[in-house]
Amino acid sequence: MNIQHNEKLRDRLSAAYVLGTLKGGARRRFESQLKNSALIQREVAEWQDRLHPLAEFSPAINPPARVWQAIEQKLVLRKQSSQTSPWAFWTDLRNDLSFWRGLGLVSTTVATILVAVLTIKQPEPTAPTASFVAMLTDDKAQTAMVITGDASHHQLIARVLSRQTVAADKSLELWAVPKQGAPRSLGLVAVDGTITLPLPDNATPQSIPLLAVTLEPKGGSPDPNGPTGPIVFKGAWVQI
Amino acid sequence: MSTDDPQQLKTWLAAVAKKDTQAFRSLYDATSPKLFGFVLRILIKREWAEEVLQESFVNIWNNAASYQSHLAAPMTWMTTIVRNKAFDMLRRVDDVVEIDNDTFDKDVMDALESPDPTPIESLQMTDNAKALARCFARLEGLHQQAIALAFYHDLSHNEVAEQLKLPIGTVKTWIRRGLERLRICLTKLEGA
Repeated sequence: MNIQHNEKLRDRLSAAYVLGTLKGGARRRFESQLKNSALIQREVAEWQDRLHPLAEFSPAINPPARVWQAIEQKLVLRKQSSQTSPWAFWTDLRNDLSFWRGLGLVSTTVATILVAVLTIKQPEPTAPTASFVAMLTDDKAQTAMVITGDASHHQLIARVLSRQTVAADKSLELWAVPKQGAPRSLGLVAVDGTITLPLPDNATPQSIPLLAVTLEPKGGSPDPNGPTGPIVFKGAWVQI
Repeated sequence: MSTDDPQQLKTWLAAVAKKDTQAFRSLYDATSPKLFGFVLRILIKREWAEEVLQESFVNIWNNAASYQSHLAAPMTWMTTIVRNKAFDMLRRVDDVVEIDNDTFDKDVMDALESPDPTPIESLQMTDNAKALARCFARLEGLHQQAIALAFYHDLSHNEVAEQLKLPIGTVKTWIRRGLERLRICLTKLEGA
């Protein structure tokens, strides 16, 4: 039945819809008409404004602090609000002892795997092998990107292992994180496939122990001194 | 801080749409006790209520830009999100939630029963909620209960009838007439 022209029925159904007593097939039929009718939408909005204050009749109870903490964590609000001290989380990362403790072991494993991979994939045995490598992992420790550095050709190859979903107004930016001082941009990386970037001369694991990818506004960080967005991938930069 | 000022809530929501974390925190502080109390009355279990409140505020942060201030009051918009999420949770857990009769705050109950309008005016709630309370107070107790049961627990006419141990026809009529009276009463108050 078209309720568009039956004011009384429309009002009654809108009220029952908002209250929740309109159920099953009747509710679905109403919803399909609601989608296409600004008139019914307004009617529903009016009933929501009338009835939803019923929610305020229940006693107010302060939620425990962990609810806000969980929201903050889920939305990564803290990283955004730490823009006042942009180096805070880079410092945290460097000071994260467990990260460095695990580094030695990881580096060895990464190097072993990569040597195997590169040996198999190398079409000409005489071609120069990559001299540095980093496997960047996401927050779930899944490898997301492999970066190889070829010192003799001053080339850096960033290979994305699984296509990343990044909003249209965002870019992924690769950083060299030195032991001291601000991270240095190595360039933007693609969300999929392989991209070649220049490798700076002194980008050795001795001076740059870590590579990281951050989520930045389209075109890269607007801050010439470093990243502005959260770290999405990171990994140790090692010599092989 | 309280939820009493819709203009302030609108300002915060507009700032949240622009990803202002400070405004988001203020909005949370001002509205979460009311919304948590509400969701706790629906779900009874604290653990579920906490999860729903968390999901709701994540949703509010992500969708604040779609809030249309000319269509709905800010509390209405947020209540819609919280209520939908709570009902989703009810369906998901597929557990029988014990429904008790203490749905409303004691002060609200007392104010609704009082023949004097002063107690309603002194309640900590938005003007919309006070207006509804004034009109709600004019309904008979059982009619109030039928509407509150349906609203808070996602019940059908049939389930409300079972809860109140009354014939379904009676419940249907009460709810329909109750809603009609609320609309007329609220329209009058708006015009006044």
